[in-house]
Amino acid sequence: MTRVRVTAPQPAARIAPKRPYHSREAAEDSDVGQVFVRSLIRSQLRLAVVVASGFLLVLAAYGSMVALVPELAKMRIFGIPVNWIILGAALYPVIGLSAWLYNRSAARNEARYRDLVEDK
Amino acid sequence: MNPAVGLAAFLGVALATAAIGFYGVRISRTTGDFYVASRTVRPWWNASAIGGEYLSAASFLGVAGLILLTGTDALWFPVGYTAGYLMLLLFVAAPLRRSGAYTIPDFTEARLESKAVRRVTSLVVVAVGWLYIVPQLQGAGLTIRISTGLPSWVGSIAVVAVVCVTVVAGGMRSITFVQAFQYWLKLTALAVPVVFLLLNQTGGGSPVLAEASSNPTGLPAAGLYQTVSLLVALLFGTLGLPHVLVRFYTNPDGQSARRTTLIVLGLLSVFYLFPTASGLLGRVFAPELARNGRPDALVLLLPGKLLGGVPGDLLSALVVAGAFAAFLSTTSGLVVSLAGVISQDLLGGSVRGFRAAALLAAVVPLAFAFTTDSMALAGSVGLVFAFTASTICPVLLLGIWWRGLSDTGAIAGMLTGAVLCGGALVSSTIIGSAAPGWLAQPAAWTVPTAFGVMVLVSRATKHRVPGTVTRLMTRLHVPERPVATERRLR
Repeated sequence: MTRVRVTAPQPAARIAPKRPYHSREAAEDSDVGQVFVRSLIRSQLRLAVVVASGFLLVLAAYGSMVALVPELAKMRIFGIPVNWIILGAALYPVIGLSAWLYNRSAARNEARYRDLVEDK
Repeated sequence: MNPAVGLAAFLGVALATAAIGFYGVRISRTTGDFYVASRTVRPWWNASAIGGEYLSAASFLGVAGLILLTGTDALWFPVGYTAGYLMLLLFVAAPLRRSGAYTIPDFTEARLESKAVRRVTSLVVVAVGWLYIVPQLQGAGLTIRISTGLPSWVGSIAVVAVVCVTVVAGGMRSITFVQAFQYWLKLTALAVPVVFLLLNQTGGGSPVLAEASSNPTGLPAAGLYQTVSLLVALLFGTLGLPHVLVRFYTNPDGQSARRTTLIVLGLLSVFYLFPTASGLLGRVFAPELARNGRPDALVLLLPGKLLGGVPGDLLSALVVAGAFAAFLSTTSGLVVSLAGVISQDLLGGSVRGFRAAALLAAVVPLAFAFTTDSMALAGSVGLVFAFTASTICPVLLLGIWWRGLSDTGAIAGMLTGAVLCGGALVSSTIIGSAAPGWLAQPAAWTVPTAFGVMVLVSRATKHRVPGTVTRLMTRLHVPERPVATERRLR
């Protein structure tokens, strides 16, 4: 086995892309290409903000429910108070579901972008 | 608790960690291997490793302890720790992976074309890392004292020693396997005792759990401001944690960074059910621990208290092993990422420099851990999240999504956040329990202020926005070519 001296790559070299200059990159640098890129970024940001606000709304809804309906703390399922069940277990699937939906839509945005750029 | 049991559990975890660490050494050959495992780690491995690294003393011991103390108010902690990953997925995961940077300072320097930004980011990252290691070492001290009766410093030093040996010898490749192993160890160590105790105590649904809403300390419930501020800190603090970010560079492309995060969310959700259940069991069967002032030891003491005898000893050994896995994995993750930052910026970036930096990264917080007294673990880790959310989070979010960010704006915002949040935390520590809520839990006002300063100063210094911004934004957000899969097979 040959030993290879391990050294840190220089930051500038690491960030600068070393790949050959593809025609698609040329397209991304053009004015039309930039219109597509900007619209991709906008749609990804919009998607992220929508999912995040949806999740925060669920949290806010839980918070106001606890504040408005104090009897909730006295209700029980299998001897465990309902607010413990919601906060301690039921919120996690909501987080997972939001993440899954986001992943699907984000990948779809990217596929749409790819189609646009490669069809040209 | 039987001292031999605790000692055996600690030695077992330390040996397993070292063994996996050394097995990993043989694969790590190039610089890329050493720093980020060549970005070839599979999503499942990587997700387990991220989970292993993230679930610290605060999650393993602190959450259950805090639930014992404050009940439903504390349930927001695991929800926030998990939802923080949702925010990371939504706003940071894929673009950051595509940036190609290894560390947060690398990213800010590339995005803003400024050495000064890099230096400020490095300082903040090192501060966050050190602050985060301290509670891990305090947790180790607590665990060793409870389980073996030895003085606390033995535990802290033992954790630092094991971490230094594995990190110095193996680098990231072995760390990935070590961390993945430790996630599953931690899950087992909490889940088995909890399931066992639940079956044993309730015999399948006896009404004894109805005591869950009892309040052993009589502490008042947290107000709306406290809860909101805590959530701001946890949701926006996670995406700036240095040891979490470096993990994302081990994904082959942006798409797989997202997939990994989704798996991480699943792993965290499953894990947090068990500290919650432990806290609930503690409220019902061991409320006196809350009054004795050692609620963080709840998870460690519960099996021995409820079962006793040989089964109690065996379960205690498992819990102690899991606790040490928590301290070791989080500390080594932090030490690796801090060592990366320190060696790049101070020591020229050689592997020898990386090793020296790893020692430095681990030993400084040890001094802090000796000189300060431990508070509630989940609480003190929550404060680190507040600090991260006020400093690194704005520069990452604006850097990824806003073309107008300038280097001056980034520095002004980070410094404002650091001074306000750091000042609030220090002064509330000095004042003690009499500190007003807005000082003790500052994220709700320091995070928006840091964002505001960053945006306003960037607006005022528009001419300093780098000319490469178009190129870089394209790189961050445009999906990789299918070449990425080829790279994975290499």
